Amino acid sequence: MPELTYRSAVRQALADAMRADENVFLMGEDIAEMGGSMGVTQGLFEEFGGERVRNTPISEMAIVGAGIGAAMQGMRPVIEIMYEDFLTLSLEQIVNQAAKHRYMSGGQIKVPLTIRTQGGAGWSPGAQHAQQLEAWLVHVPGLKVVFASSPNDARGLLWSSIYDDNPVIFFEHRLLYPIKEDAPAEIEPIPLGKARVVREGTDVTVIATGPLVHRSLAAAEQAEAEGISVEIVDPRTLQPLDTETLVASVKKTNRAVVAHEAVKRMGFGAEVTAVLQEEAFDWLDAPIERVGAKFAPLAFAPPMEQYVIPQTADVLAAVKRTVARS
Amino acid sequence: MSSEVKLPRLGQGMEAGTIVKWLKSEGDRVEKGEPLYELDTDKATQEVEAEASGVLLKIAVESGEVPVGQTIAVIGEEGEQASVEEPKAEPAPQAEAAPVPESEPAEAEPDTSRARHSDKTATARPQEKAEPDTSGARHGDETATARPQENGGGGRVKASPLARRLARERGVELETLSGTGPDGRIVADDVEQAQTRPTETRPVPGDVTEVQQPVHSAEGVESVPLTKIRATIARRLTAAWEIPVFQLTVSADMTLANELVERARELNPGVRVTVTDLLTKICAMALSRHRNVNVQFTDEALLKFATANVGIAVAATAGLVVPVIREAERLSLAETAQARADIVERARDGKLQQADLEHGTFTISNLGMFGVEQFTAILNPPQAAILAVGATEPRPVVRDGEIVVRPMMTMTLTVDHRAIDGADGADFLRTVKSFLEEPALAL
Repeated sequence: MPELTYRSAVRQALADAMRADENVFLMGEDIAEMGGSMGVTQGLFEEFGGERVRNTPISEMAIVGAGIGAAMQGMRPVIEIMYEDFLTLSLEQIVNQAAKHRYMSGGQIKVPLTIRTQGGAGWSPGAQHAQQLEAWLVHVPGLKVVFASSPNDARGLLWSSIYDDNPVIFFEHRLLYPIKEDAPAEIEPIPLGKARVVREGTDVTVIATGPLVHRSLAAAEQAEAEGISVEIVDPRTLQPLDTETLVASVKKTNRAVVAHEAVKRMGFGAEVTAVLQEEAFDWLDAPIERVGAKFAPLAFAPPMEQYVIPQTADVLAAVKRTVARS
Repeated sequence: MSSEVKLPRLGQGMEAGTIVKWLKSEGDRVEKGEPLYELDTDKATQEVEAEASGVLLKIAVESGEVPVGQTIAVIGEEGEQASVEEPKAEPAPQAEAAPVPESEPAEAEPDTSRARHSDKTATARPQEKAEPDTSGARHGDETATARPQENGGGGRVKASPLARRLARERGVELETLSGTGPDGRIVADDVEQAQTRPTETRPVPGDVTEVQQPVHSAEGVESVPLTKIRATIARRLTAAWEIPVFQLTVSADMTLANELVERARELNPGVRVTVTDLLTKICAMALSRHRNVNVQFTDEALLKFATANVGIAVAATAGLVVPVIREAERLSLAETAQARADIVERARDGKLQQADLEHGTFTISNLGMFGVEQFTAILNPPQAAILAVGATEPRPVVRDGEIVVRPMMTMTLTVDHRAIDGADGADFLRTVKSFLEEPALAL
């Protein structure tokens, strides 16, 4: 099986969708000749031309607004917001327009818009280019939110996002672009709303997203050496959330850790924790642990940045607390 | 108008039941009389029917043990708002202590017996503080420090939700455990390691808890939590063991009985008549003639029953159950077979109703199909007699001074000697034997 990087997985999903369907087109800042600031769209301008791979002015509000308009007219636009920090500039369009039209028109209008964006710390991009803001968007009814942690997931989920008739916010993580895994040549679409059990275990379930899936895998290996069997579940789609799979896993292991890179306080993990205690209270043998970034802006200085964002050791410590004995 | 679905009292002495699962989901249309949910009582798991038609607006209790009378769901009209008041924490039905007045201030030190039943109180009113708030700050951390650090300090027992559930299911008292989790929290392992005692919902004569309990944590030993039925069997049989009994054994020549069963099968092709059916019918007829055997002993009086309600011991998947064929003396052999086939099938499918298990006055336990030659059964209290039936097999017997081979069946009657004297029991058994050997006598 050929190896696929996360970056080329995203690119392949875009290219295949554009080949299969002329209604699919791309918009974003510097995505055409330059191939995107992270190189994701490299080669697509050459193949599909400027009509379908469109550079835009530096106005996130305008990019999303134009995407919504095109989607309402029957296109399947995929737009790129260069950094998810910049989503804040387009929230009016996302929250008040994209998320609402289908509902307010009684279903007469659909907005099959996909908003790709990337972010994340770990490479010293500073406080304004490293945030993880998925919690802002999972809070809005009318949006779907995807956060893939592996090349296969990125490819299969982006394909399904493009062909979903609702606005989908598709989060990519900067540090994941170079990771590789074996992948079949053909895209295998992955339905939205289905979690993936990344690793099976019996003592504690770690529910992790994005890079924390990989840090949790590393933590699980270390825990295994100490006789603790860790199960890892990646929700992959944050909205709608596959509570069934998460709850089933926690009912099996009786303990849970929820881990993401975003700030822990009021984060996506808080919601997951609440759902688990609602649906699996009588199966819990320890308080649910949360792992997330400290409540602080991210620093440029690498040691300070590393201190704020959750590391493998933080996941391992949380895992151990759930199985601790006095 | 919406109507509340309350946990019904399905039998004498039923204080609580365990909801196994709902057969309808919230929002489903429900017709009166349709099975609504499965309920596990200490006698059987059964489907309970809806008492009203409408839409199942709300399921208040998804599963688990619920006291009789608590609202577990609401049936109403489409779109209607359903609200269920949170059940007030009240002392368990059989609590020894007097009910706690609701106005009782929360600061009061709860006694331990109440603490056992007041988990709901503790979780439903988390804000109430044990002491006046003097710190002001660090609101969130305060509950942890306000709690006693050790279990058994007279306050709330610190246990994980899973540990609480396991303790509830296995009848383990959390107060008796010491927790090995952080800050002495009782976790599931502590419950698993603990000696288990069946929940005692009614007093058992004598003290049976001194019996050495098996160790659960031993290597290679699988610990299967007691089901309600298994716990009930254990409790009832232990109680039965306290009763002074005697046994009487006879063997009957089954030649004519077998012929009768064969003939009944020919005449009633729709239902398979068995020896057990004939025995049921014959025992019922014999009980009608020996009313001093169709009795139950109580401390105040001897209860004599007018009809013979014959229980049949059935090995269901979940364990032994004894569904009852009522007024068996009035049924024909084919009707008896029909009734027996129905209850045995439902017993094997776990679909017996509480009513199927009640009001028995006599029990037949037949292990003949396993080739068992003879055995003694343990009483099925409060009944005063049980007949243990062995296999019918060709045996040499003496007839008119000659040894001949006849199909013989040995049966043993176990009798509550408090209620029935030896001669009365023997007289009854002689009648059963003569009816089997000459079924026409039973007419």
